[in-house]
Amino acid sequence: MFKDLDPVLHSQLRLSIVSILMSIEEANFNFIKESTHATSGNISIQIKKLQEAGYINVNKSFKNNYPNTTLSMTDKGRKAFENYVNDLKKYIQPGK
Amino acid sequence: MDNKNFTPEDSLLLITKTIEETKERFKENGHIIILWGVLMFTVFFSQYIFSLTGLYKKFDIIWTVILFPLGAIYQFFYVRKTINKKNLPKTLLLRVITTMGWAMGMNLLVLGFLFSHQLGDAMAPVFIILLALAMIVTGASIEFKPLFIGGLLLNVIGFCTFYLDRDFHGLSLMLGAVIGLIIPGILLNRARRKENV
Repeated sequence: MFKDLDPVLHSQLRLSIVSILMSIEEANFNFIKESTHATSGNISIQIKKLQEAGYINVNKSFKNNYPNTTLSMTDKGRKAFENYVNDLKKYIQPGK
Repeated sequence: MDNKNFTPEDSLLLITKTIEETKERFKENGHIIILWGVLMFTVFFSQYIFSLTGLYKKFDIIWTVILFPLGAIYQFFYVRKTINKKNLPKTLLLRVITTMGWAMGMNLLVLGFLFSHQLGDAMAPVFIILLALAMIVTGASIEFKPLFIGGLLLNVIGFCTFYLDRDFHGLSLMLGAVIGLIIPGILLNRARRKENV
């Protein structure tokens, strides 16, 4: 694990989920599943971790009698992502 | 997904790749633009034919009242089906384009049905200019040059229509439908198909 990099975001699946949510306003669980090709169980675990960190909002509702979970970034999550990307740049280009 | 040996380079690559792939998934395929272009062309071409054959008074309202709302109903169900099928997420771009499309459509409808008398000969140019604005904004938003250029040309056609006799307004609208909607729509559709091969 790299020092100083946000441990919540420095995980492949969590970073994928956050990257998807950074480029849109809101997505449902199936969209995340199709995009990441991960299993439902694994995604649920990572979503819970991101939610506990306060990085994403999770809204559970029903659509056409089926459960519909929608996810979106929080302001805290956006800030954390920006910081994470800046930290990554420092690692890759330490002189700059 | 393996988190071992997940380097900062891998992270940046993953972020870039994921964002690009996400954007690719909800790109507009030009279907709706072609639909409205064909609909617009059909309505004004048939009106032109009706005027030549003397049937104009019988069919003009029927075409406009039936075909345009039918297009709106089809668009509503097509968009809903596409969103449900692809689990499309909410995006700012999608919201801007959809809102603009509906707002423009409603304005055209209100102008056509309630203010056509006040607008008189300006009806067709105003119709074309409003449509041109929507195409310019959509073309710029989705970064597709042919649509943007088609919108600009449509805008020019709109202004030129002010100088034309009312008898040629239908011709302007048909030309506008082909240059501003059908051709850019087909090019957009082809471009998206190519990307998906």
